[in-house]
Amino acid sequence: MKLHDQLWLSFHNLMLHKVRSILTSLGIIFGVGSVIAMLAISEGAKIQALAQIEAMGTDKIIVSTRKPPTSGKDVSDSSGNSMMERYGITIADLDHIRKMDNVEEVAVARNSRKKILSGMKRLDLSLVGVSIDFMEFSRSQLVQGRWLSSIDGITNNCVIGSNVKRQLFSLGEQNVIGSTIMVERDIFRVVGIVENLHGTHIPGIGSPNDCIFITIMASDSIYGKKSYETSNRNPSVEDVDFDTFIIRVRDVSYIDFTSKRISSYMAKRHADTKDWTILVPLDLLKQQEQTQNIFTIVMSSIAGISLLVGGIGIMNIMLANVYERRKEIGTRRALGAQKSDIIKQFLFETIFLTSIGGSTGVALGVVIALCVTHYAGMPTAFSLWFILLALLISAVIGVLFGTYPAWKAAQQNPIEVLRSE
Amino acid sequence: MAGARERKEALHLADIRKTYYTETVEVPVLKGVNYDVWRGEFIGIMGSSGSGKSTMLNILGLLDKPTGGEYRLDGLNVAEMSDFELTRVRNVKIGFVFQAFNLFPHLTVQENIEVPMLYAEVPAKKRHEVSAYMAERVKLAHRLNHRPTQLSGGECQRVAVARSLVNNPTFILADEPTGNLDEKTGAEIMNLFHELHDAGTTIVMVTHNPYYESHYDRVIYLRNGMVWKIIDNIAGSTQEFPT
Repeated sequence: MKLHDQLWLSFHNLMLHKVRSILTSLGIIFGVGSVIAMLAISEGAKIQALAQIEAMGTDKIIVSTRKPPTSGKDVSDSSGNSMMERYGITIADLDHIRKMDNVEEVAVARNSRKKILSGMKRLDLSLVGVSIDFMEFSRSQLVQGRWLSSIDGITNNCVIGSNVKRQLFSLGEQNVIGSTIMVERDIFRVVGIVENLHGTHIPGIGSPNDCIFITIMASDSIYGKKSYETSNRNPSVEDVDFDTFIIRVRDVSYIDFTSKRISSYMAKRHADTKDWTILVPLDLLKQQEQTQNIFTIVMSSIAGISLLVGGIGIMNIMLANVYERRKEIGTRRALGAQKSDIIKQFLFETIFLTSIGGSTGVALGVVIALCVTHYAGMPTAFSLWFILLALLISAVIGVLFGTYPAWKAAQQNPIEVLRSE
Repeated sequence: MAGARERKEALHLADIRKTYYTETVEVPVLKGVNYDVWRGEFIGIMGSSGSGKSTMLNILGLLDKPTGGEYRLDGLNVAEMSDFELTRVRNVKIGFVFQAFNLFPHLTVQENIEVPMLYAEVPAKKRHEVSAYMAERVKLAHRLNHRPTQLSGGECQRVAVARSLVNNPTFILADEPTGNLDEKTGAEIMNLFHELHDAGTTIVMVTHNPYYESHYDRVIYLRNGMVWKIIDNIAGSTQEFPT
């Protein structure tokens, strides 16, 4: 029998029992649907996580100050200032790092550690002194006005993050450029608004959206390097040179080497207290990808089980189908159908069932994923390969679970079948 | 007429034996059957139940293999053939007509008639031509697009006869073709067979109905797995064999 006649015959047979065909392929429909939905959700989460990491820039190394855990024990040092605490990354570190081969430029930031109040309420915002190139290095975008430049020098001009605008100004105030904000006793004039679309968290200062930026010179001249804080009636002074270095490397292929050099230098210089951390977004990216791969494998295994169950369901129905159609099989054999013709007929029926089920499942999965995005706000993403994979797998399941019933059909003895009226 | 007929062999059966084996006993069903069928003959094979008639039918139709003896169909020794080859021969050299018609209910009359040609890989255009012609031969040209469920029993059997003819087989093997029909329709179907016979088709009809005895050129009687009597209606002779 010619292949296209065979295919038509199998398709025709399926269409004879539409409801049964649909019920039979439900297992595959839901199996594939859940696979697609799960993959779309995990892909979405992956893309979101990667975008956040990538937003920091894969050509960057971030070194930041960490408050050492030793605070509160013996803090008196030679200067005799008992409440003085000096820690963190220093100008000496900056000078040294700047001289390294692969280091192109370093942007710096220092958190002034000032309380920013709205009335009596303390806001979760920070006033940060930064170098001029910080906006570009932190991958933030100018929304309105201008960024700080060298002419701002030690003036009280500031640039605010998008969240700062939301928290300090009322909704009615569309244009806040030129407005002033007050931090403790100092007044700053807003010259621009920046936004980091990914809300990237930069170690040491947090998200740029939550920062009020002034030049580091202004910060030095207004506050110096010391910050005063009173907690539990204990006034303390913290002396920190910088909170964050964002280091851009010349050649990304040597980024591992450079980060190792920086680490070993920092470890030597800050041997007694671990008051610094290093972060390489590229490494995070690689780790994240690895975790995602494991996640995907686990997901796929679970999905595989549901597909297996669907496949067994189909096999079961097809076996019943073969028994029910004994007379048809016997007649076909008598009229000249080879065993292989019978095998093909039933196998194609199963493959059609699983493929149609697979396609429907893909559609279902896409709908589920879109619903998840719409109602739960979780990001989802589709890629062509897992849709193709789902279709391929459903066809393979058709072959896998259709072969036995088809073989069983071909083994029917036409004599017995024709005689049983 | 009998003398003038050219005796060309269609079937040759020599010492056909069939024994069924179970674990403990052997049951011989055919114990050495001999007869020939000539081209253009209308043969009836008769016997009561238990005579080996069904087994004879299965062997003639290549659905079962004899355990001994020689069976030649259109010059081919089919005893030694594989399942694949037997199926090919069955497809092109035997036209089956069943008692219960065995039509496919979901196919139209035309599609039903075309089924053996599908397995013979006849191109679609020729299939349509042949099936339309055969439907005309059995006087069902106006029913081509009907389904078997819309037809009467007699019409169904006509479709089955048309189906048996499409690959121009060596002989038609009819298994009790009037068994499911009333007397009048049965007679019509017998008429149809006579028309085909007159046109030169070889027909072997297996039946237990003695009513049609006189319709056949020759009647072969089976009893106890052996041929015990052959009546030649054309020569007017009866041959009996000791059992």
